[in-house]
Amino acid sequence: MTASTALAELLLTMADDEFVAGFMDSEWTGIAPILEEDVAMSSISQDELGHAKALYELLAEVLDDGRDADAIAYDREPEAYRHARLLDRPRGDWADTIARRFLYELADEARLASIGGGYAPLADLVAKLRREERYHRMHVLAWIERLATGGPEARGRLVAALAGAGEAAATVFTPLDGEADLLRAGILTRAFDEAEAAWRTDLTRVLVPLGLDLPPRIEHGPDGRAGHSDAFRWLWGEFTSVRRSEVGATW
Amino acid sequence: MTDPLALDPVLPVRERSERPWNLDLPHDERFAHFEAHVTAGGKIEATDWMPDEYRTAVLRFVEMHGNSELMGVLPEREWIMRAPTLRRKLALTAKVQDEAGHALLLYRVAEDLGKSREAIIEDLLAGKTKFHNVFHYPTHSWGDIGIIAWLVDAAAIVAQQALRDSSYAPYARTMQKICWEESVHIMHGRDVVVTLVNGTAGQRDMVQEALNRWWGPLMQMHGPRSDRAKDRDLHWRIKAKTSEELRQEFLAIYVPRIRELGLVIPDPELRYDEAAGEWRYTEPDWDELRTVVTNHGPRSEARLEFRRLNRDETRWVRETILAGSPAVAA
Repeated sequence: MTASTALAELLLTMADDEFVAGFMDSEWTGIAPILEEDVAMSSISQDELGHAKALYELLAEVLDDGRDADAIAYDREPEAYRHARLLDRPRGDWADTIARRFLYELADEARLASIGGGYAPLADLVAKLRREERYHRMHVLAWIERLATGGPEARGRLVAALAGAGEAAATVFTPLDGEADLLRAGILTRAFDEAEAAWRTDLTRVLVPLGLDLPPRIEHGPDGRAGHSDAFRWLWGEFTSVRRSEVGATW
Repeated sequence: MTDPLALDPVLPVRERSERPWNLDLPHDERFAHFEAHVTAGGKIEATDWMPDEYRTAVLRFVEMHGNSELMGVLPEREWIMRAPTLRRKLALTAKVQDEAGHALLLYRVAEDLGKSREAIIEDLLAGKTKFHNVFHYPTHSWGDIGIIAWLVDAAAIVAQQALRDSSYAPYARTMQKICWEESVHIMHGRDVVVTLVNGTAGQRDMVQEALNRWWGPLMQMHGPRSDRAKDRDLHWRIKAKTSEELRQEFLAIYVPRIRELGLVIPDPELRYDEAAGEWRYTEPDWDELRTVVTNHGPRSEARLEFRRLNRDETRWVRETILAGSPAVAA
């Protein structure tokens, strides 16, 4: 594997994660539990989609195969998406959303913190993404604490949501085929298993004081970023429906 | 963002308290001072004394506006998941977010007038209060999304621009921010429509069919002609223009812009009468308007039911927040 193939794999997995996370969260726009959260969750999902767009644009440059960011984002069969299984679940209730966002935001931070200067356009972009992601973490941490300490119903829902998402939580760190090449090229500064360990430390700091369980350790397998759920197939059917109605048109 | 310095300054508390309608006078004298101030173009703040008739009228007006923003989220929200490019997806999400934000701003104005957000939403979901006719209709295609953002928002902004000078100052200030955001929505909508009319035959049909569907509701949107002298909202300068003035303004600006794109407006009677200096059009279907705004429109009940279900599903979150709030605990 060459460094550019490995880079393309890294960019695609990062972009697909942000794309699917942003799509799921954008569904709360207009129907969140309170109007203040309509506005907040919508801003967050717009940030995630903006990050996906920037990452797909970098990928389009790296691939240089005539496809633009939209073609990469939209014009694939469901099986070709490489987002982590953590993000493959249906939106669920507010506790599911908060649990999924919490596990993902901290995992994304651990991944972003592993990007080195080996490919300058990505390093520059990551610096910008991390400035925005900081606010997403503040938002989700406030909610984790509020639900964990907000009485039996809220805590019960949060515990169930964390347990439901927990089994797939570590799939964000599913090893990449080209990880060794990325490390050699300085595009990654540490392997994904080290990033995963850093993520567990961050999770421990939040969850243990609240008396909540950490997600289980898993053996990473080939289905960490493949074999998507019916929830994602539904989502794919929705987000490609207008585009597929007039193939090749400009929208 | 609206420049805060461009907004009317709020008077210092002491100066405000010395205004004659805020003095401890008999009711009729206060009323006369208040009415003279308002009808001469003066502004009223939330902390001012105000007659019940004025408070109720402003509340009803702002509440209906807030309800319309909240319900207006739903038709477009369905298309957030289907937006066909990353850029359109971002723009549409931001637009729907703005509408939710407008509902929040307007409900806060209404809350100062004495009705809580919970009570406002409960009345809306119980069918006791109304929302604008255009949000009772279904959406069929991406063409509707262009037409709604361009023309429904344009018809709304014609009315809303006139509200920036409302006598109720908190509403007027809120409208400055809202109008600024709505004008961005119109640009987004026009861009969607222009892209479709310059696209494939299928895309062009998509947007023409959407215009055909929305023209009737658009012409009804500002309401039937009314008698200026009898309109209490005009008397109190809560609003500044009659329904017909708003409709004429909308037609004057947008008929040429729609035709410029090669779209056909589905009204054979539509023409500008030079002699009379106004637009002539087929009389809008006022029965349809009455039917629709009393929640008997094609999507009225489904949208209200969707909101009720959503409200039930998220109730536990609101209860969690309120239980943890220091104001309630104290």
